Amino acid sequence: MSASSSDGLLSAVSNDLAAAVDTVGRSVVAIHARRRIPASGVVWQPGVVVAAHHTVQRDDDITVSLHDGSSVSATLAGRDPSTDLAVLRLADAAGAPPVAPAAEPPRVGQLVLALGRPGGSVTASLGIVSAVGGEWRTWQGGAIDRFVRLDLAVYDGFSGGPLVDAAGRVIGLNTSGLARATAVTVPASTVARVMGQLLARGHVARGWLGIATQPVRLPPALQRSLGSESDAGLVVVNVEPDSPADRGGVLIGDILVALDGRAVRDPGDVLAALGGEQIGHAVGLRIVRGGKAETVSVTVGERPRARR
Amino acid sequence: MPGADGLLGAVPALERAVGEVAARLARVTVHVRADARSAGAGVVWLRDGVIVTNAHVAATPRADIVLPDGRELAARVTARDPRRDLALLTVAASELEAALRADARGLRPGELLVALGHPFGVAYSAALGVVHRAPSAVRGPGGWLHADIRLAPGNSGGPLADSSGRVVGINAMIVNGLGIAVPTHVVERFVREAMSDRRRSGGVRAA
Repeated sequence: MSASSSDGLLSAVSNDLAAAVDTVGRSVVAIHARRRIPASGVVWQPGVVVAAHHTVQRDDDITVSLHDGSSVSATLAGRDPSTDLAVLRLADAAGAPPVAPAAEPPRVGQLVLALGRPGGSVTASLGIVSAVGGEWRTWQGGAIDRFVRLDLAVYDGFSGGPLVDAAGRVIGLNTSGLARATAVTVPASTVARVMGQLLARGHVARGWLGIATQPVRLPPALQRSLGSESDAGLVVVNVEPDSPADRGGVLIGDILVALDGRAVRDPGDVLAALGGEQIGHAVGLRIVRGGKAETVSVTVGERPRARR
Repeated sequence: MPGADGLLGAVPALERAVGEVAARLARVTVHVRADARSAGAGVVWLRDGVIVTNAHVAATPRADIVLPDGRELAARVTARDPRRDLALLTVAASELEAALRADARGLRPGELLVALGHPFGVAYSAALGVVHRAPSAVRGPGGWLHADIRLAPGNSGGPLADSSGRVVGINAMIVNGLGIAVPTHVVERFVREAMSDRRRSGGVRAA
């Protein structure tokens, strides 16, 4: 039974995939910060591990297992629930080489491996990129640079592990914490940005108005009298005392129809407009009060940390 | 380099290669029917009529075998080990083509795997996947070969092979979506023990 040339090709592909797992697997660690099985993490720069926020269930007493079997204690540098990322600093960076991020964006159909280390050994699964889209917001308002959908099975303990191309470069970090029923890949560029903020400040600053809203439908007559193109708005159901909205004069019962000229129909639209870069800047809130439209100027504050 | 050397330089060859591995496995894979309820696959282990399957497939002392060439044979279940989920079947045949084997302990995560079996009764269906976790030396769950591959009932007892078509395990179960196989070295030990038992006692050890 002699080996044919195409048999050699299959072995060559197999070896490439195993080599990619081996290379990146040295940077994939096990995070012991919850009960049950450990989760995964990735050494993103020397001495710094990025993990999935939802798997880091305690802030202290965190240990990390490296590829060589050694254990290193780690401290939490910060966490960003909105992108489900947490950053840990290792007490000893030796023996934990950082990964190399992929330079090119992922392509639909591309072969990819998801890696994890839910325990002692690195584990792998193979699939393809099934869709790539633009920037999107998580349900908690976190900005993710690119939407990446996978045809790939992810298993227990894979959250916090890397998505890897066949050349062993890291496309992003996989987590089951951002969508029901499916794994989401946080692209490497988003990981790097959030990691930088967490290392510098311990948290990701987000803009804050201090209002709670819920969607309402605008009656056609009101819509006509406002000259509004949108048939929906957000009724303010709470104003935090001494918040930016309170100081700007926003009242319970106001209907918010636009923020800085952009129509809002869903509370997520407000979150999306309040990135960290907005802090300290005035935004115009177009509101309907007593059947009349007016614009209120509010200086965006920083979301208090207890509120995350 | 998106598309740099795309447009079918490699994919047809890759597909052919998977097909060749599947065809090679098909020559050593059999149907096993023990009773009305259980049907699965088996692997020709020794050319003189020794076939390996799962204990949960061969749950009765006798089973019916269909060889790849269509011959139907009655088999005796000459050894069973539910703990390792292995059973040894003997048929009155010789000059069968036996499976080429490789030790699963040498596998690395990410290596390609091909499974062959009769999932949901579809005869000789192939599946492609990768090594999720290679078996370790320790006893317990770590001693099994874990594969990221889509299996179904009917794959039980069938071969899981490496990229060269060498059998590295016997597919045994699906746990949380992972294919779990008995690694070849465990099968070899089981077959060795069963054969020496048979020689010693000259009889059947079926439980």
